[in-house]
Parts: sequence; C-alpha cells; structure tokens
Amino acid sequence: MVASGTGTQLAIGCEDGSVKIFQVVPGGIQFERNLDRRKGRVLCLSWHRSGTHIVAGSIDFFRVIDVASGQTVQRIMVNHQVEKAKRECVVWAIALLSSGTVVSADSFGRVQFWDWEQGTLAESHTVSTSAALSLAVSEKEDSIVVGTSTGATYQLQLLPVKLGGLEKCWVRTKPFQFHSHDVRAVAHSSTALISGGLDAQLVIRPLMEKVQKKGYDAVLRKFTFPHRRLVSCARKARLLLFQFSQYLELWRLGSTEETGKDGEVLPPCRMPEHLVQLKSKGPEHIYCSCVSPCGTWVGYSTASRFQLYRVRCDGDGVSLRKVPKVPKLLPPAYQLQFSADSESLFVASARGSVHVFQLLEPGGCKHLHTLQPPSGCSEAVYLLAPSADGHWLAAVSGDWAIHIYNLKCFQHHCVVPAYSCAVSALAIHPSTNNLVIAYSDQQLFEFSIPEKQYTSWSRAVQSRGLHRTWLERDSPITHITFNPKNPAHILLHDTYLLCILDKSLPLPDDSTLLMNQSTLKQLPETARKRQLHAFKICKKFQPLLFMDLLDENCLVVVERPIMDFKTQLPLAVQQKKFGT
Amino acid sequence: MMLLLKVLRIWKNEDINLDKAFKATLSADVYRIHSLPHGGPVVLFRGGGVRTLDVLLEAPQQEIENIISGEVIRWSGAFMEGQQPVLIFTTEKDEDFFVYIQKPKLSSLHKYKLEQQESAKPLCFTAHITNQTVTLLCLYSNDSVYEVLIPLQQDTEEKEEEEEILSKSLLLNLSVSGAVLKGTSLVVLDKDHVAVLGSLAIPGKEPRECLTIWNTKFQTLQTSKELPLGTSGQLWCYEEKFFLIHGKVLTVIMYKCETSSLAAAVGKLKDSQTPDVSSFVNWNTLEDEELVVSFQSQKSVALKAESRMNLRSRRSTVPEEQPKTLSVGELLLNLKDASTYVLETELKKLMAKAPTPDLQATIGYVVTALTDRCKKNPKYYPRNFLQEIAETRDLSYSLCPDLMAVALEKKDMHLLQICLERFPDIPEEVTYACLKTFLSMSEAHLQKIDVNLDSVICYIDVELDNKEFKTEIVENGFSAEMDQDMCDTKIPKENQSRSDGESCPVGLQKAALLNAILHSAYTETFLLPHLKNLPARQAILFLRYLYYLYVKCSEKVNTTLPGIRSPTINQIMDWMCLLLDAQFTVMVMLPEAKELLSNLHKFVRAQVRFYSQLNKIEGSLRELQRLNHLRESQTYSIEVLEII
Repeated sequence: MVASGTGTQLAIGCEDGSVKIFQVVPGGIQFERNLDRRKGRVLCLSWHRSGTHIVAGSIDFFRVIDVASGQTVQRIMVNHQVEKAKRECVVWAIALLSSGTVVSADSFGRVQFWDWEQGTLAESHTVSTSAALSLAVSEKEDSIVVGTSTGATYQLQLLPVKLGGLEKCWVRTKPFQFHSHDVRAVAHSSTALISGGLDAQLVIRPLMEKVQKKGYDAVLRKFTFPHRRLVSCARKARLLLFQFSQYLELWRLGSTEETGKDGEVLPPCRMPEHLVQLKSKGPEHIYCSCVSPCGTWVGYSTASRFQLYRVRCDGDGVSLRKVPKVPKLLPPAYQLQFSADSESLFVASARGSVHVFQLLEPGGCKHLHTLQPPSGCSEAVYLLAPSADGHWLAAVSGDWAIHIYNLKCFQHHCVVPAYSCAVSALAIHPSTNNLVIAYSDQQLFEFSIPEKQYTSWSRAVQSRGLHRTWLERDSPITHITFNPKNPAHILLHDTYLLCILDKSLPLPDDSTLLMNQSTLKQLPETARKRQLHAFKICKKFQPLLFMDLLDENCLVVVERPIMDFKTQLPLAVQQKKFGT
Repeated sequence: MMLLLKVLRIWKNEDINLDKAFKATLSADVYRIHSLPHGGPVVLFRGGGVRTLDVLLEAPQQEIENIISGEVIRWSGAFMEGQQPVLIFTTEKDEDFFVYIQKPKLSSLHKYKLEQQESAKPLCFTAHITNQTVTLLCLYSNDSVYEVLIPLQQDTEEKEEEEEILSKSLLLNLSVSGAVLKGTSLVVLDKDHVAVLGSLAIPGKEPRECLTIWNTKFQTLQTSKELPLGTSGQLWCYEEKFFLIHGKVLTVIMYKCETSSLAAAVGKLKDSQTPDVSSFVNWNTLEDEELVVSFQSQKSVALKAESRMNLRSRRSTVPEEQPKTLSVGELLLNLKDASTYVLETELKKLMAKAPTPDLQATIGYVVTALTDRCKKNPKYYPRNFLQEIAETRDLSYSLCPDLMAVALEKKDMHLLQICLERFPDIPEEVTYACLKTFLSMSEAHLQKIDVNLDSVICYIDVELDNKEFKTEIVENGFSAEMDQDMCDTKIPKENQSRSDGESCPVGLQKAALLNAILHSAYTETFLLPHLKNLPARQAILFLRYLYYLYVKCSEKVNTTLPGIRSPTINQIMDWMCLLLDAQFTVMVMLPEAKELLSNLHKFVRAQVRFYSQLNKIEGSLRELQRLNHLRESQTYSIEVLEII
C-alpha cells in the first residue's frame, strides 16, 4: 500500500495481482478503480513522483502501469541473468525514480536499476548472498538504502565516475550490520538511515557526512522497546497487568516479611501468582490496556474494539466478567486511564477528545462526558494523567499540546505553554497538583495547575540547565510517579535507569558525577552530605520496562531481558562463524 | 646551391632549369655549406675558415685563412645563438681530436682539445646549444656515448693560443643484456633520447644492423628496429623523421618520443612505443617536468581505481591548496640544481615546519623532488632519508608515484616493504613488480639486506634443517598423521614432510617481504592479468610459502599468526585463490607442482570437514542455550535496594 506523491491517492497491491486505486477523502478513503490485473501476487508498489505511473513488483517480474489509462505499459522479467533460474526470484521491494529508472531489490540479493521504457537493465549490484528485502530512496534520489535478510543494510550512492565528471553510476558504499534478523523496513531521512528488523530493533544510523555538528543527531540510536507504557500497576491491590500483542496477563505480586541490607535477596513468603490470561479475539493487536488502582477493572483496546472487564478475586479463585453494553467508541481508544478512586475511566480518543466513563457497581459503565480542547485539534490524544484528588486531568495530543481539564465541572482549564518536542511522560503530583512533564529531548518541567504557570523549581531547572549526561541519554522517560510520603520526590524511569529526583537537593552541574550512587555508598555517612544532588540514579535493572511505587518503601520493577525474546525469534539466516 | 670544391654554383628558387646557374670560383676548397634558419648559409672551408655566403659573394676571390694545420675536419655543425650563427667543427690529427667554435660575424674563434680516451676514438659527433652551452655528444668506438659541455664564451678580445682540454662524461653505454651495439651514427632526439644507428653484435650470432632509440635518463634501450638489408652507416634526422639508406632505398621512419618517465624507460607504459607507430612527444612540458609528471600519474591512478573514496576526497581538496603548493613548487624548482647536501637539508627544513593542511602535498613534492634527482643522477640515492620519510609520514602512492619505481630500480627492499605496508593505493602493476622482484632475489643476497622482520619472527622456525616431527597435540583439527591417513598416493615420506609446510620454503627476509605484499590492498580484476605473467618457478615458490602460512595459521585455535603485521588467514586464502586462478594451467602441467597441489587439496579438504563439524556443534550448543534460557526466564525476586 503506497500513497501517491501528492497524498491524494492510495494504491493497494493485492494477492490476486490487481492494483486498486483509492481516493483519499477527508475522514477516510474511497475506492476509485482497479488498474490492469495480471497473474502473480503484487508484493511491492512504488509511485512515480508525478503520479503518472506505478511500478508493481511480483514474483519473477515487475510491471509498470500507466495510472491514467490503467494499462500495463511494460513488463520486465528479472530472473534472466540467473543461472539457477528454477528458483523463483521475488521482487521484495521496488522504487520508481523521477528519472524513470526502476530500482528493484530481489530475493537473489540483487539491487537492479532498469530503464523501464527500453526494458533494459542498466546496472546490477549483488549486495548480499541472501534476499534483499527492503529499499528506500533519499529525497534527492542520489542515495538508496537496502535491507537484507542477513540483517545487514547497505547504502548505494549515485557518484560521478570521475571527479567533477558528469557521468554518474551507482556505487555500493556503506555496509552496516546492526540487526541479527531480516531487515523488513528501511527509511532514508536527509541525515540518517533508519532500519527496522525482525529482531525487534529500530536503528537510526546517522550519515556522518550529512551531520554538521556532534549532537543528538550524530549518534547511532537503537530502539528495542516502544516508547509507551506496556505494564500497568494496581497499587492498592498489588497487581500488575502485562500487555502482549495478542493477550493480557494479570499477576499478583509476591511479598516477604524479611528485611535486609542493600543488595540482599529476600526469600518471598508469598510467591507471585499468575491470576489470569485474557486473550483478545481476532487477529488485531492490543493497542493499549489498563488496570484500575483497586484492581477490579481491566480495560483494553484494539484497533477496532474497546473492552472492559470486571475482575473478582474471592479466595484463591479469580473470575473475569466482561462488562456488557460498553459504549461504542469510534475510533477506539489510544490510551486508557482509571481515576485514582477507580470510579471513572478516561479514554483517549481521536481529534483531541477524552471520553469520561463512569464505572458502576457491580459491573456497568456509563458515558459521562467528552472533553475537547476549545480550539479543536486534529490529532489523537496519546497520554493521560489524572490527579489523585480526582480534580484534574492532563491530556497530550499528537500535536504535543497539553490540555488540562477540570473534572468537577468538565471544563477546559488551561494549556501548558507549547514546547517543540514530544511529551514522553507526564503525571500530576498527588499533594501539590503540580504537573511534571518529561519531553523526548530529556527536558523536565513542572507546571502548577492551580496557578497555571511553571513552578519556581521548574524555572530554576531551566535557568540552571540539566546535567549533560542526563541530556545525552538515549531513551526517553516513559513513566513518572511520586512518593506520597515525601512530596519532594519524583520517580522517573527510562529503559536503562530509574531515578529518584529529590527537589530538596541541589541540582548537579556538569562537573559533578551524575550517576554517583556507587561512589556515595563507599563514603562514610558524614561525607555523603556534600556529595548529594537531586538525581539519585539506579542502573541496576536493565532493560527496564516499567517501574512504580507500591507504597512508601516498596518499588516494583519490570525487566525484560533481551535474550528472553531473542530466543523466541525465528532462527536468523545462518551465518557461518567458522571456516572461510 | 651546389659546389665543386672551389666552384660555387647558385640556383634560383623560381628557375627550374639546372643549366642556368650563377657560378663563382673561390680561392680555397670548401668543406661544407651549412644553411641556418633566420640566418644566411655559412660556408666552411677545408682549412677551417668560415664565411657567411653574403660576405663570400661580395668578393669570391678573397683570401681564406688556414686555421687548421695538418688536421682533417671530421664533423661540422651550425647553429643560431641569438642572432649569431655559430659553427662548430671537429678535427683529427694524430689520434688527437680538436673542437673549434667559430662565430663568423664576430670573427671569434675558440679551439679546444678533446680529452683522450684510451683505446677508443670518436666515430660520430652531434651537438646542440642550450643556455649558452654547447652540448657535444660523441659516439666512441668503445660502444659508449660521451657528453662534452662547452660554454659559449662572449669575450672576443683575442684568440687564445693555448688550447683548453675538454673533459667528457659518460652518457650512455650501448649494451643490452650482453649484446653490444657497434654504433656508426648518433642523433639527438630530445633532452632524454638519442638515436643510434649501428650493428648489434650478439655473441655467437651474426651482427645485425639496427636503428635504436635510447633513453639517456635511465640508460635504457627504448626501442630498436632491425634493418636486415644493411645501411650506409649514416643517419639523418629532420622534423621527427629519420632518414637512412636501407639497402638500396632511402627509408624514412617517423618517430615520436614520449615524455621520459621511468615507467616508459622500463617498458611499463600501457602501449609500448615503436618508432613508426606511436604517439607524440610533448616538447613543451620538458621544463618543470616533475610537477606535470606527478599530476598525470595521479590522474591515471585515479582512473584505475574509481571506487577509492579516500583518494577522491583527498584530491577534491587540491584546488583550495593551490596558492600554497605553488610556493613549495617554486622552492623545489630553485633547489633543482642545488647540491645534494643543500637539497636534503632544505627539504628536511621544509618538512619540519608546523603541520599545515597541505603538509601531505608538500611532502609529496619533496619526495618527488628527491626521486627526480635520483632519476637524473644514477649515483644519487638518499636511502635513509627516503626510508625515514616513508616511515614517519602518511604518504600514499598517488602523492609520490615515482618513489616505488625508484626503489625498485635501486633494489631498496626495505623501502619497498615500508611502502607496501603503508600505502593504501598502490597500483596492482607495481605490487606485482615488487612481488616478482622479491621472489626472484636470491636468499644469499637477501640475508645481507636489512628488512623489518616483525611480521615473521614469531612463527618461522629459524632452524630450517630441524626436521623433527612435532609430538605435541596439534590444535584445530589438523595433524600430520591425519594428513597421512588420507594420503593415498605413493609419495615418499621424507619428500612429503618437506613440502607440506613443515619448514618454511623461503628465508626470513623473503618471508617478511612477501608478507608486505600480502598486506597491500589490491583489486582482483587488476591484479590477475599481472599474476599470469609470473614465471612458473616463482609462482610455485610463492604458493608453497602461502601453503606454509595456511598450515601455520590452522595450527592455532583462533587462526591468526602471532606477531605484528603478520598476514591474516583471509589475506592468505585470497592470495592463494588468486595465484591458483592466474596460474592454474601452468601448475597442472608442471610435475613439481603436482605434489604441492595434491597436499594443498588434502589439507583444505580436511579443514572443510573440520569446520563443518564445528558448525554442527555450534548449532547444537545454540539450541541447548535456547532451551536453557526458556527454563530460566520465569524469574522473580524481592531485593533490597538502597538509594541514597
């Protein structure tokens, strides 16, 4: 499925060999017509920039279709030059350049350049012994990135044959191996190559020649986990809800009666308990989920459906009952959040709106209100933060605007001043009603909701600046929580660290060590005072999926070892380690 | 115009009737009339007197002085020096040769005596004037060409009675690999080239008459053309054409001279030139040649290796640096004629300057200047200085394209080793030339040479005659017994132990040099055609050494050789494949290669089996690890965490 250059049309290649054109209309798409249908499933499509032609890749051939007439104007076999012609040659990815050159990536590991009007092969580069799966062309069409099934990506560049000469040819320039499995998707930004693999990693590899200064853009980035919350915690009931792609798991945490020194492992007196596994119906992935603080409600949403369940724990048995007559939501939820008292549910929805549902005993649900920004918004809400006293709700929409609503009178309260970065996490302090916001550029803000302005601490942080090591971190803060017993504490975590931010302590400057916990532990009590600073960072648990404070001295941390899901992956293309 | 000793006849251009001629009878015998561009004809009399034609025609019967007494004119030539005609002639008297230089308009006369040469006398002369200096080339009967430099003196006060003795220097020895050219005529073609007509005497064969072109810069025979019908022994040359009498016809041969370069001199230019079909000589570039040469060769290297990104980016910075490099170029131009000592100290000073962005280019020019001097002066070779530069600076081949050629010429193995290890962009042709030189050098000679042995010292057994079998358990799946088990041909046991890599087939020095070759960068496509030319004996020796390295590598678990800059297994394998590709037919035919190939085959087969077993084990272990992890993954713990 590929959209045309102007974004007004959508072409969809089908299994039966047809290419369907849809018109993009406000609020949806509308079928326009079928293009010439030929035998052979369509595996990849590419529009010409002008929208006049579409090239469609199939098995053993690709064809060029004139959009206006709908006719196939050229059909080119790609398996000609191969000796082992018995094997079929799958065109996995294709691109139609504005010059009329067709670039194809096929299962023989070749990237080929064709003049489609002549039907001739201009250049052929065998980049890999296994299949080339994906390709992307830069905006200027002078560079191509190719992903292969061995996990390697290659860059091809259009370079002059002679320095200063006019004649140019494609040269394979840079090989990268960041993935262990198939590279299924690649993208080419102006300064970086982006690749996504079957090994559950997203890699951004900056092109050093395009990056002028050292900075965030100049560093290789690897993302393993989505930057969103996949675990939710029922604090009071000490339950954890894990969201998987097709099912949810509810666990009760274990407990211990022992105490010990730092680093000791305590014997649990009660083992953790797997309460229930909830499978979603149909092939759709679960998009978001949540468990209420009291642990009696569980809600989840897929791309088309929203479901709410009532959980009852009586003794050892656990029963799960679907709440009937849940108000239909179209489109369904982007984020779910229960209120602190578990009496209402906030559903983040499209166009900046937030639905408020009232939860009814013994198992019912009623639509109470829909909150919407007064100025309107085209983007969906993706993060929600209710206050503990049930007075306020903060909602972040895709345009990065943070709207604050008053839940007592269901009215828009204010907007947090705009900032040029995505919000990665936010939470409202239970006692002060200060909204703490973490942005994707690692900046932290504290906004007083009652006073509708940044707090003095936040201003102090901004004028002082955060520690450089903090700002150069890789992964964004994905969850913020507070210690109810110590209002000065803010708990944050990203994939590699958890941090207790103590507002009562001085901020570190660049000359001091940010991660100073191990140093502090070696110092005598008296000497520690001078070394203390606001960021208390623990890197013991990695990669960190979730962290929450259960009570004053109990922290729950969810680790997801990479090896865990690596072993579940299908075997990678075997590459011999021994021998030559 | 034509003359009969004393009678001068003059014809007019327009009148084609030969009977109609102006006659004048002179008072003395004429030796020759020379015509000069932009100056009238000059008449040389037997007695050594010289008159311009205008003066002579005014009074034909005027008395002509007799300058030479008892001497016979052997050769004469006329030139223009500024507006002045200059006439040079040589005379002979009792084994002594004299040179006269006359300026008829200034009536100045200088007489010199040529330094005597034992048991040889001049056969032929030729001369040219550059920068107020007459360069007289003499072909001697001892098959050598000598050069005599005579300054043109401006003073016209008096004719010096006392004759000066001119010293000569050897320019060229007309001998090619044992064969000697008995020259009869000599012609200068350009600054670096002379043509000699003569008969080539190969011992045991009948002498054959040849026209030859020699490069005086590199002392090499550029080309030769056989003239089987015999010649009169005379050779003339006008406007890039040779005129000679071949048999009964006057033969005209066109020639063109390439700008003299070492590559051309040693026959490594792409198309070797023949005198009648060739490209042109660029006379204009003969000044400031070194800069031109280096730029041209850079270009040709660049064309060869289009994918070398580093080169491209480096060259792209050249235009910005132009103003600076020019000044360096000027400095080098000034130093061109300085003495060796001055040159070296100046260059050292230049290099010691604080690093500037164009330091690389500067050093490139410095090295080019040095190599140019080496080429001009065969005796000059600053071995240590060049090695020091190559070792301490990040040079590349394209920066100083002549360096390796000069090192090859001078057989400076150590410098070649350094270059091969350090230069990223050596053309395959040069790599091959080095390989061939290394392989062909005798071990005895190499033992005297100082090369860096770091890459070999750790794995080559120094005692070559230690034939004991190793009793330790050999790692990595290969042992001699295993090899013998699979050996089903009947090769005597002692024979096998010698050739299966137990002892190194080459000496330490040669091994170190060959390792440098293995380390150099190359492109298979360009190297392969050269490797095909490698003589079979050398190819086998090289293959034997590669086989030895391969066996040595495989003895270790990590398949790497110890030591600094020792070759990696991939380099060894690549070269082995390349060599076999290039020489396979030869190898198959040669009986002495048969045993080596069969051993190699067996060894490789054993390795392949071993690795396939390893891969199987790896697969099993991976599966075990996977199962293990699945069991362990459900972990839960309650820990105490103190955050201060």
